[in-house]
Amino acid sequence: MKRYDMIIVGAGPAGLSAAIEAAKRGMKVVVYDENAKPGGQLFKQIHKFFGSKEHKAKIRGFHIGEELLAEANSLGVEVVLNAIVIGLFPEKEVTVKIDDHVEHVKGDTVLIATGASENMVTFPGWTLPGVIGAGAAQTMMNLHGTLPGKRVLMLGSGNVGLVVSFQLMQAGCEVVALADAAPRVGGYGVHAAKVARCGVPFYLSHTIVKADGDEYVTGVTIGEVDKNWQVIPGTEKHFDVDTICLAVGLSPMSKLADMAGCAMEDNPAKAGFVPTVDKYGETSISGIYAAGDVSGIEEASSAMIEGRIAGIAAAAKLGFISEEECEAEVAKQETALDGLRQGMFAPGMRGKMITETEEGVEISQNLLKKGFVADEEIERFPGVTHNTGVHPVIECTQNIPCNPCQDACPKHCIKIGSNITALPAIDPEQKCTGCGMCVASCSGQAIFLVNEDCGDGTAEITLPYEFLPLPEKGAKGTALSRSGEAVCEAEVVNVRSAKAFDHTHLLTMKVPKEYAMKARFFKEAAKS
Amino acid sequence: MNDRSRDIGEFVPQPDDDMIVCRCEEITKGEIRRAVHDGMFTLTEIRRYLRTGMGLCQGQTCTKLVKAIVSRELGVRPNELEPATGRAPMRPIEMKILAKDKEDA
Repeated sequence: MKRYDMIIVGAGPAGLSAAIEAAKRGMKVVVYDENAKPGGQLFKQIHKFFGSKEHKAKIRGFHIGEELLAEANSLGVEVVLNAIVIGLFPEKEVTVKIDDHVEHVKGDTVLIATGASENMVTFPGWTLPGVIGAGAAQTMMNLHGTLPGKRVLMLGSGNVGLVVSFQLMQAGCEVVALADAAPRVGGYGVHAAKVARCGVPFYLSHTIVKADGDEYVTGVTIGEVDKNWQVIPGTEKHFDVDTICLAVGLSPMSKLADMAGCAMEDNPAKAGFVPTVDKYGETSISGIYAAGDVSGIEEASSAMIEGRIAGIAAAAKLGFISEEECEAEVAKQETALDGLRQGMFAPGMRGKMITETEEGVEISQNLLKKGFVADEEIERFPGVTHNTGVHPVIECTQNIPCNPCQDACPKHCIKIGSNITALPAIDPEQKCTGCGMCVASCSGQAIFLVNEDCGDGTAEITLPYEFLPLPEKGAKGTALSRSGEAVCEAEVVNVRSAKAFDHTHLLTMKVPKEYAMKARFFKEAAKS
Repeated sequence: MNDRSRDIGEFVPQPDDDMIVCRCEEITKGEIRRAVHDGMFTLTEIRRYLRTGMGLCQGQTCTKLVKAIVSRELGVRPNELEPATGRAPMRPIEMKILAKDKEDA
């Protein structure tokens, strides 16, 4: 029987990170993944990640996947694809289907990093072709280059629903509405805002009543729900769509841990049935670890750190490093993990109603109910200031662990400080040069450069733009408000693209100056 | 939980009883609810009785849905229900491959 120091099931962010840490310390590591491509969900993530530099913030997800894979390969990690682990037995014996046979492999340690699967909801017509998971939509668009449909309704306002809605629009789909049975937007406000300003209406406290169609989806009816989640008669709204995308949460894929005999718990805070693990990610069975979504749903950045911890701990378990070294290294990772688990969206905050930021600024209720900050609310946030000449306007209104904008500004105009969840503030003493690095660095696309008065009755707004075709200088069109409503005519006066911007283009539009603080998106007029 | 003498009331038909819940095995909500009234109080029993979650996707889609239906019928919280046992093979696999066991590949 083949034998490894560590067998890792799942080549996603947690699995690859663990492999890197273990291999770095001299361990012989194999990673099995049932997919044809490694990286788990990372290779579908075309958006820039949040966090700090150490957490790979502002790097697009698929680049993080490429980096991890390259590092694992250079360390001699064996990554076996199309390899389906079908069993985990006592004495850490793993059975894995490779090609046309089943292999038995033994690991001195095993890491279960199998991730999660998408939840579904049922409604009449939910089994029709055209009803798909948000993850499936991402797979089609970002891995296979196929449009899932033309007109889409998204159910779910968590980060997955918001991010995938935006990606659907980037791919060329029309997102007709975003609905969620919850009364408030579940994901980051900045993700919601970038979807809303493209004109997507948000329907909170709404669920799907039914999907229409005989052979496939031709339409959808949503309706408002009361406190008992029952649809209120008369509130139904119909949309002609060919695709209904469901982003209603994830469940840990923990069956392998269960069959291995690990102690399990059904913990709603971890979004399902998970193995109980200690601070090293070790389950109740010595030498079997679990990391990433399989041990509790979070996101890729924390999965990577959990993976690293498990890799380090496994190395100590087998004597590749000393206990002292392990403690020191794990402590470092824990600090990083704590940093990520701060702010309004931290795991411990689930379901809690937050009314003000850490700074004591009242949260935008409009953002939570409609997906955008209202004009009368935006002025109270510290990133939104007024000045003469070009200056940044940072519409970042919730405490999330993210700070690339602070490092991006060469003039140090933007201050977040050592508390990574603090809202960015503007230092009025520092002169903005309009370089745009902050605009491109903001993973939430929440930073704009505004010259409120160009002296000729106009204002110029520079915004992050990630759609194709890219409007050209001189293009005419409409400026859209934060809610996606047309507010005035606009002309593109500059479009900047640079390697350092990493595919976020900086589009500068000219609008009448009274719209300087209202216009936030550009829609090009249809070319005749 | 597994006390079969417990009175869970009569089976009351619901308008969406004919909605399919387990897509792979085409099991409806009504069939699952009826199974509870037939005395199947655990997810393992439901699975053996109806084959929910035993098809191609191995319950990846319907496990949570079935759990919600059964727990509602029993009047308990979903996380109080004991989950169905996980066992090999974790994924659907052709018999001829399963039989081709390479001890020393």
